Amino acid sequence: MTVMIRRLRGAARVAIAVAIAIIPSAATAGSLLEGRVIDRTLANGMRVLLVERPVVPTVSYNVTFRVGSVNEQTGESGLAHLFEHMAFKGTTTIGTKDYARERPLLDEIDRLALDIQAEEDKGRAADATRLAELRTRFEALQDEARALVAPNELGIIYDRNGAAGLNASTGVDVTRYTVSLPANRFPLWTVLESDRLTHPVFREFYTERAVVQEERRMRVDNNPGGKLYEAFIAAAFAAHPYGVPTIGWASDVDHLTAPMAREFFDRHYGPSNAVIAIVGDLDAEKTVRQVAAAFGAIPARPAPPPVVTLEPAQAGERRIEVEYDAQPQILIGYHKSDINDPDDPVFDVIESLLSSGRTSRLYTSLVKTRQVAVAASAASGEPGARYPNLFTLQAVPRAPHTLDEVEAALLAEVDRLQREAVPARELEKVLNRLDAALIRSLQSNSGLASQLAYYEAVAGDWRYLLRIRDRMAAVTPEDVRRVAAAWLVKRNRTVARLVPPVVERAAP
Amino acid sequence: MRARVERHQQAAVERHQQAAAFVFLALVLFGLVATARAAEPSTPADPRAMTFPAVPFSPPKAKRMVLPNGLILYLLEDHELPLVTLSAMIRTGSLYEPADKIGLAALTGTVMRTGGTVSLGGDALDDELEFVGAEMGSGIGTDAGSASLNVLKKDLARGVVLFADMLIRPAFAPDKVDLAKKQAIEGIRRRNDHPASIASREFNKLLYGARHPYGRESTEATVNAITRDDLVAFHRRYYHPNTTMIAATGDFDRDELVRQLIGAFGPWKPEKVTYPTVPPVKDQPAPSVNSIRRDVTQTQVRMGHLGIKQADPDYFALSLLDDILGGQAFSSRLFREVRTKAGLAYSVGSAVIPGNFDRGSFFLYAQTKAGSTAQAISAMKAELEGIVAAPVPERELEEAKQAFLNSFVFSFSSSAQIVNRQMSLEYYGLPADFLERFRANVEKVTTKDLARVARKHLHPDRLIILAVGDERAFDKPLSTFGPVRAIPLDQPTAALQPAAR
Repeated sequence: MTVMIRRLRGAARVAIAVAIAIIPSAATAGSLLEGRVIDRTLANGMRVLLVERPVVPTVSYNVTFRVGSVNEQTGESGLAHLFEHMAFKGTTTIGTKDYARERPLLDEIDRLALDIQAEEDKGRAADATRLAELRTRFEALQDEARALVAPNELGIIYDRNGAAGLNASTGVDVTRYTVSLPANRFPLWTVLESDRLTHPVFREFYTERAVVQEERRMRVDNNPGGKLYEAFIAAAFAAHPYGVPTIGWASDVDHLTAPMAREFFDRHYGPSNAVIAIVGDLDAEKTVRQVAAAFGAIPARPAPPPVVTLEPAQAGERRIEVEYDAQPQILIGYHKSDINDPDDPVFDVIESLLSSGRTSRLYTSLVKTRQVAVAASAASGEPGARYPNLFTLQAVPRAPHTLDEVEAALLAEVDRLQREAVPARELEKVLNRLDAALIRSLQSNSGLASQLAYYEAVAGDWRYLLRIRDRMAAVTPEDVRRVAAAWLVKRNRTVARLVPPVVERAAP
Repeated sequence: MRARVERHQQAAVERHQQAAAFVFLALVLFGLVATARAAEPSTPADPRAMTFPAVPFSPPKAKRMVLPNGLILYLLEDHELPLVTLSAMIRTGSLYEPADKIGLAALTGTVMRTGGTVSLGGDALDDELEFVGAEMGSGIGTDAGSASLNVLKKDLARGVVLFADMLIRPAFAPDKVDLAKKQAIEGIRRRNDHPASIASREFNKLLYGARHPYGRESTEATVNAITRDDLVAFHRRYYHPNTTMIAATGDFDRDELVRQLIGAFGPWKPEKVTYPTVPPVKDQPAPSVNSIRRDVTQTQVRMGHLGIKQADPDYFALSLLDDILGGQAFSSRLFREVRTKAGLAYSVGSAVIPGNFDRGSFFLYAQTKAGSTAQAISAMKAELEGIVAAPVPERELEEAKQAFLNSFVFSFSSSAQIVNRQMSLEYYGLPADFLERFRANVEKVTTKDLARVARKHLHPDRLIILAVGDERAFDKPLSTFGPVRAIPLDQPTAALQPAAR
């Protein structure tokens, strides 16, 4: 029920869950996983990935759809995320006391919502009397419909069966539904999830829209980091939908309707757009047959329309300020290509050099040595990875040091990447840290399921996990210099600063 | 790439943060006979009617040992992955720092790690650990010190040596003490940036008192008053083998690891430690309504009062009652009424936080737009009053029990979780079979028990209410709920500080 956290994490970021790959020593993450992933495509195009991990009698499920805010049209920002909330509202049988009686009420509510919207959108010319009448009627109908709802029934059934980590998240690239259950609840999961994919009902839509507005106030409007990130990303992308916030602009969210959610579902939630990853105490072959039986019957749908907009090459630095009553911070982003670009692993190496651990270059320079910042970090792949995206730098200044000083210190490290060859030992450290992180990432069922489904959906193949380590190992000092010189340049960057507003002090 | 995947994982934990009640030992078992037939797509089973037996499971147990110097070890082998984790708990805490040096305990915990050891400087230690992908940390919280090491199996022997050096012989290098103090002060400057942190902090002060060790907090003055000598003395006073426990899990040979641990920790000499007296938490402060002005569009609401200790026999029933009221998400009353039905909040719930050594807390929380602040407070209050006034229906109790018992298995998801819990139970003086008793006690809870603990431990008439927000935009003035006390922030917000640009 969350929008993916899009705020960059500071130096406190722990190196977890990078990927799974082959390491040179005896026991490697790759060898620990190799041959254990059962990989099937159902006749309707749905992808199913399973790993047996019989440590504890539990199973983690991750259903990832290749749809996110990047697939929204102008004026409907926030739809992918609001849809994700609606996926917890039930179906024709779950979440209702009497769907036959509920349905006409829901249709009428949808019609009234549009009427109210149309009247409201007249602005000053709106007919106040009519608006009041419509709203009264709307409230009465909602009350009538609410009486037929079994609130939160999907979640309650899961809870009663011992669910852990029941949640969902929406990002620019993907929307994900997760839950872990005692191992023998597999039949329950198949029934609930296949039902949710075939007979969803968008009840309580307009109340949930208000909940999402509260989520927006929490994550963005009253959160300095969220506020800066939203403005930053909007400035960095002039054309590509990556520039639009996943949670949606507040005014767009106010105009979202249940019929729009239905249309979005029909277009993007077809089986060929879904990846199911299941990890835990299960018999993989048997499970795959049962998944095929439960989900294979869902009719195939045409592929959703592609995202065609390309971000034009940036032709000069963009600088923005966001005034907010909080201590300052800074975000810098450079455009780069997508996850499957041959140079993408070079950015992963640069991210690690700059940002992984207390010996990383940014921490060493800005936090330990110059002491101009309390946190400094880098990230490759903001706000997503499926399409050309950003390489970002972030820092939190330490008073009395200014944003100017911090920016200069960040850029000095970028400059160094372009000038000096990275020492071999530093590249070796990057790989060692990666290898250890990869092994750690195998410690949890839900973490492994999450990664398998994520890379299958975003990179197009879960085996990205098996390959990325070797691709990073092949990166040379010259690659780092070449990529930094080509992409991490002034013309290609956006700088965003959070600054306190100037307040006129009242006379004492 | 790391950022990418982590972002996803971060998102997945969000709701738990929102549900603030970390101590949810939610759990399971139960179930009846399986009608669990293979799913037939044509006539799917009714998920409401599906029942399952308890999953058969006997969690492994850690071996406990005591070295001659008093150091307690918990050991549990787990050979699935070539990793080893050591976790330590040390009997200390910010409870014991002097009132004019608040922040001393936290700084000591931090600089034990960053300041290096007598044999290796802080930066060299970072280099060595990070080169092999190891992680080592140290910290001191309110009522415990902690330390951890996570290494690949091949690096374990060296890891044990470094871990012991950090715990026994930290160097507290002056430059790292200085850096840690500067960072702590920047943290203080930034503590009003997020309304949620203002609310948590100030609510805690209201419950425990701004001077009590459970309520007080550091200021620039108390941090500036701390010297390197203070850190050295704090460490010397509390870190001894007889105040320390270490739990080990992972891919090791037990006898070999014990030999390594004895080699590294055996020579550590025990010492008798005397602890400063912590004043007992004062009885329930008077009910009050408190307002903190912050120009934001969403109000942070907290309302509650002091709570119980974890060892209280009523904890089991109260914990279930809290699940029903607001501790669970989908299944709770607050979530249903305030979020699902009224659309007033994204984040809403309740939490019973049991105290380890003294009284814990109980509170309701929500974040709602300024214009529905009073409405949300009223709605939350009504739910609290309702659960105290009217008996919880049998069916609702049964749902909560099932949720609790059926998710019990997730309390044993990893060896580290099992062994760390055993260590922590001993640290806090709870029985080793606390969790098993918890399950047995939960099974026995009746609706009468719920009614009794609700009356005894929940006090809707004695609430401390706190709202952080812009009262000019509230739907009704806060004074609707009683005389309002305006609390000034301990320091100006960024806009009113000298040129932060």
